[in-house]
Formats: sequence, structure tokens, C-alpha cells
Amino acid sequence: MNWLLPEGASLPFAGLEQPLRIEQGLGGGSQGQVFAVQLGGERLALKWYFPACIGRDPQLRERLQQSIRLGAPNRDFLWPLALLDPIPGSLGRFPAAAGGFGYLMGLRPDAFVGAHRHAGGDLAISLQCVLKACFHLAEAFHQLHLKGLCYKDVSLGNLFLDPSSGGILICDNDNVDVDGQSSGSVLGTPGFMAPEVLLGQAKPSARSDLFSLAVLLFRLLTRHDPFRGQRELAIRCLDEPARRRLYGDEALFIFDPNDPRNRPDPIEHSAALITWPIYPAGLQRLFEQSFGPGLRQSEQRTLTGQWKQAISLCLDQRQLCSHCGQETFPAADAPGACWSCGTPLPEPLRLRLPHGLVSAAAGNELQPHHFDPLVGEAIREPLARLVAHPSDPALLGLQNLSTSRWRGRTTSGQSIELDPGKTCNLSALQQIDSSAGAILVLRP
Amino acid sequence: MPFPNVRLSNRPLHFIYLCDCSGSMAAQGKMQALNQAIRQSLPGMAEVARENPEARVLVRAVRFADQAAWHLAEATPVQQLQWRDLEAGGITAMGDALNLVADALQSPPMEERALPPVLVLISDGQPTDDFDAGLANLMRRPWAQKAVRLAIAMGHDADLEVLQQFIGPEPSAHGKSPRRPLQASNATTLAQYIQWASTAVVGAASMPASRVTAADAGGPNSPANIPLPDLPPTLLDPSDDVGPLVW
Repeated sequence: MNWLLPEGASLPFAGLEQPLRIEQGLGGGSQGQVFAVQLGGERLALKWYFPACIGRDPQLRERLQQSIRLGAPNRDFLWPLALLDPIPGSLGRFPAAAGGFGYLMGLRPDAFVGAHRHAGGDLAISLQCVLKACFHLAEAFHQLHLKGLCYKDVSLGNLFLDPSSGGILICDNDNVDVDGQSSGSVLGTPGFMAPEVLLGQAKPSARSDLFSLAVLLFRLLTRHDPFRGQRELAIRCLDEPARRRLYGDEALFIFDPNDPRNRPDPIEHSAALITWPIYPAGLQRLFEQSFGPGLRQSEQRTLTGQWKQAISLCLDQRQLCSHCGQETFPAADAPGACWSCGTPLPEPLRLRLPHGLVSAAAGNELQPHHFDPLVGEAIREPLARLVAHPSDPALLGLQNLSTSRWRGRTTSGQSIELDPGKTCNLSALQQIDSSAGAILVLRP
Repeated sequence: MPFPNVRLSNRPLHFIYLCDCSGSMAAQGKMQALNQAIRQSLPGMAEVARENPEARVLVRAVRFADQAAWHLAEATPVQQLQWRDLEAGGITAMGDALNLVADALQSPPMEERALPPVLVLISDGQPTDDFDAGLANLMRRPWAQKAVRLAIAMGHDADLEVLQQFIGPEPSAHGKSPRRPLQASNATTLAQYIQWASTAVVGAASMPASRVTAADAGGPNSPANIPLPDLPPTLLDPSDDVGPLVW
């Protein structure tokens, strides 16, 4: 790579009290290059634009300044922190960089990897972590849209995942704009763009974000594409005009409940056929909505709040197959069989909370919204977690993740106390009164 | 438990180098420069392939001198590719090379479904055989019509006109464009163009990138089969470089 800015150099920039040290180049794209930098002992990332990119997008600087002023919607965004302009003459030795500008943002930790690796089957990640990533994604766009902003270019390429936790990072936030202003030049990424944007009938907006978000969620949950079914098989050369038909003029959801003409091919599209049945009907319906009526009517698309609700319900229903150990997500009223091995799923032990029902499976968590309907779904700070006993995995316990002592009683009427960080055995537990509310054990 | 072991189905992306190995390529280290540029570009190309779950990037190469022959006959996954050095000597059977590629782009051997192929023609001189017949033969193949065709002119003796014919109609706008022959008048620029073709262009052909409204980037009404990415900013803009040939 030919770097625009010299690795190892310390360069002055307008508005910075001390020089910025360019540690190393991290990557480049069509817009510019990203560097790891150091400013007064703090490690940050710097994105520097190609002059051609700035020329194409006259409102870029203004948009970045606006984003910096408004601040990040939440911590899942690698948000612009400060705009950097060269001091006149200081980049004279680097003609390709002079005439450009850039912005500082947080440095992406190594644990986060590109979401395309998940789509390519090249990432070990649990279904629970994929669902958590989807929840965080819906939450991030919820917060972004609540601020009156839209993102415009939702795609796999702008998302990073931490496979061990389901944490996410959304990068390339430089197209973010006030919804409806549509000052920028970006249209989105084919395959993710809403049909009306792809076909040139509308500018990107919060409503087109909702379509792209649904595509991204589908791709994370299924490792497949919502529109690649029989109609893709009919395409010999998958080029731009073909993509416009597949995702625009002739787009048809592969699992459209009313129109089976674009169903996945059992061999070419096996990923979709294996993964789609994993998810409960409540979640599947949201995709049918966004990719059915929502395809042409943007007001019909699933809202971020609906995604959050359905995904958190799905996480609550997580249950491990007693035969193969695979993660399953049966609805309480439709137990069914394991999607992986076909073994019938017995009704699990459940925890009844003031505003929720959580299946007892190692790794499931009790969240604040299970106790208080006014706080809205959030999964970042669980109050308790179901954990397996370290030496006897068959023994399931409830771990107190709060900072206060909980009290409860066993089925035999004995009182127990559960200090922060401690775990109590579920098999003997009747009820526990947490700091947030009562947790009642429901046996099948 | 891990996510089920499935992945998005992918399509082959055929990337074919057509390399001029005529005697003049032996001069001023041009042949070595091309070998180096291709070899150095492979790790970046492999990385792009890894990042594009929709594509299976397969590389082949044709050499042409007194006649054309496959230098790398088997479509090889870029991750497994070891570049063998090309050697210079002979005349410039460019038309013959286009015939060879034409044969490779008919189905079979070409798969029924694929991504648009990428063809990169690199030359430092004039064709000595029937270029027009070779090009006409190539362009009869639907896959060649769909292909992203790029040309790199090494030095100032390359026949820009035939390279432009290979690419297709010249763009109306002035200035540097990937739809014109890329003029590499030194080894550094050559390496930059090879790297650009094997990473940015492969990326664009295999997985769509962000779109902007600018006409050259392929808006909804763009005639382009595949919108091409910007050329890399080079230190010496080739169009300004009128100095002596330095290899």
C-alpha cells in the first residue's frame, strides 16, 4: 500500500496543540485511508480523504462537523471525534495527502472482526452472540434515528463483530446526516439498498435505513441473502444490471409467505434453508413484513423498536437441545423439535419475572427490562445470568450480577441469601427477590 | 454451540492476466518489473478475496511473444497462487492471446454462473499478428462482453490505440480514467496499477461497494457493467510524465 501519510512521522495539524504521530497505515478504500495514530499518549484512528473524494462530496466537511457537534448515538459507533486540517505547507512533502482533510475517531480493538467474515462462514460464533449482535445493531440504529439522523450506507462492510460477546462496532459514519437533508452523495451498497434508492426514485433516509438494516440482520442471522433464490439461479453473469433486477425491479423475498417463486435452491442456497427455521415465527414475521409489503411501501418496514423486542424475546427463549446441545429458540406456546437433530424439545424450566419469561439455559440473562417495562429493551447490563456449575455442567445456577444482596427461599421453605457475584442452585429454588423485583422458578 | 457450518453461496471470479513477453520487454528490466509487481500484489489480492464472501477469485495468465500460450493454465485460487517468472523473447502475438482467452471464456469450460471476469492486458509494444481478428473473436463471447477489461501500457512505445480497442469505447471526459489505457512509465507506477487492478477492481467486481451519485461511479442509469473504483493517486501523474524512461 502506498500510504498518503508517512508512517512513523509526527505531523502538526490545525487546532492540535501537539503533533500527531502517524503509527501505521491500517487500510484504504475508495474514499481514503485509515491510520493508527497517537496524540499525547492516546491511541486513535485517523481517516484521511483522497482529494477526489472530497471533490465529489462538497458537504462532507459540514456533515462531519455536524456529527462531531451532535456526538455519538451510543458507544457502538466509531464516531468522528474531531476534524483535522493540515497546517498550510506542513504536508508539502506528501502531495497526495495535501489538499485533503481527515477526522479522528476511536481505534477499533483487535477483538472486532469484519462482519463479512461471518457471512463467509469464516468465523466461530454462537447463535446467541449473533442474536446479541443483531440486538445491538437494532439498538444502535434506534438511537441514531431518535437523534433525527440517518446512516445511508448500512452494509456488511461497515460492521465489525466481537465473536466472543456479540458486541458490535459501526464504522464509516461519515455519511450520517440529518434525516431528510440528503446533502451527501452516497446512495448505499447494492444488495443492501432499499429498492426505491437503488432504482433512483428516492434519496437515502431513515426509512431506507430500515430496509438496509433488515437485510443486514437477515444476512447475520442466516448467512444468506434475502433475495437470492431461484431468480439468482437464472442469472448467468451477476453484474450491475443483474443486481438491479434482483434487488430492485424484480426483488422477491425468498421466504415470501404468499409467493413461492423465489424459494432458495436446496444445493446453491442451502445456508438459508438450514438457518431460517432456527428462528421463532415472531422474528420471521418481521422479515416477511420488511421484505414483503415493506419492499415497495417504506412505511411498512419493521421499526428498530420492533426488532429490539423480537430479538430480545428470542434471546429469552433460548434453550439447549438435550440431545445435541445445539441452541434452539422455541416459543413458549410452540415447543416443537430441535432444528439441528430433530429431537423433540421438552418444556424447559423457566424464570417468571414481572415483565418477562426466561428459559433456564446456561448463558441466558435477566435484563432490567424484564423487571421494569419503562426502561426499554437493553442487554448491556444484565442483572443476573444462568450459569452451569464449573465441575458439574448439568447443575444450573442463577448468578447475581447486581451490587446488592438478594434473598429467596427454596422449595422446602428454607431462606437463602445471594450476595453479589454468587450463584444459587436452581434445582432447589422457589423464588428469589432481587433488587429489581421477584424471580419465580416455573417448573414444567 | 457454534453457528451452523454454512456460508453464503459464492460465484467464481476469473481474473486473467495477458502479459506481453516480446523481446522488448527484456530491455530496461521491464519483464522483471512486471514479475515483481504481480508477485507483490498477490497477498493483497488474497486478502480482498477473503473479505468478499460472494466471490471465489481464480487467477490465470497468458503470455504472448512469437505466439500466445497459457503461462498459468489452471484457474488457481489466489490464496494458493505461486507466481512463476515470465521470460521475454520474440514478437508480439497479442491477437493470438485474445483467441486463447476467448476459448477459455466459453461455457464450458467457463461455469454457467459467475461474476464478471476481469481481464488485464499488459503490453509495451505493437501487436505483430492479426489483433483485430483476435479481438473480434474474443468479443463474440458473452463473458468477454461482460468482463471488466483493463489495459496497462508499459513505457511510451505501447500501442495505446489497440489497448483502447481492447478496453472498449473511450470515455468522453478528459483526464485519467480506468477506461483508458493506464500508462506506467516506471516500475513504481506499474506496481500501483497492478495492485489496484488486483484489489480494488477485484473487490468491485465481486462485491458491490458503496455507491455515490457521481456519474462516473455508476449511478442507477450508468451504462457500466461494473462501476470501476477510482484510480490510485500516483505520485507522478503519468499524463504529466514526459521525462526519460526509467526502469
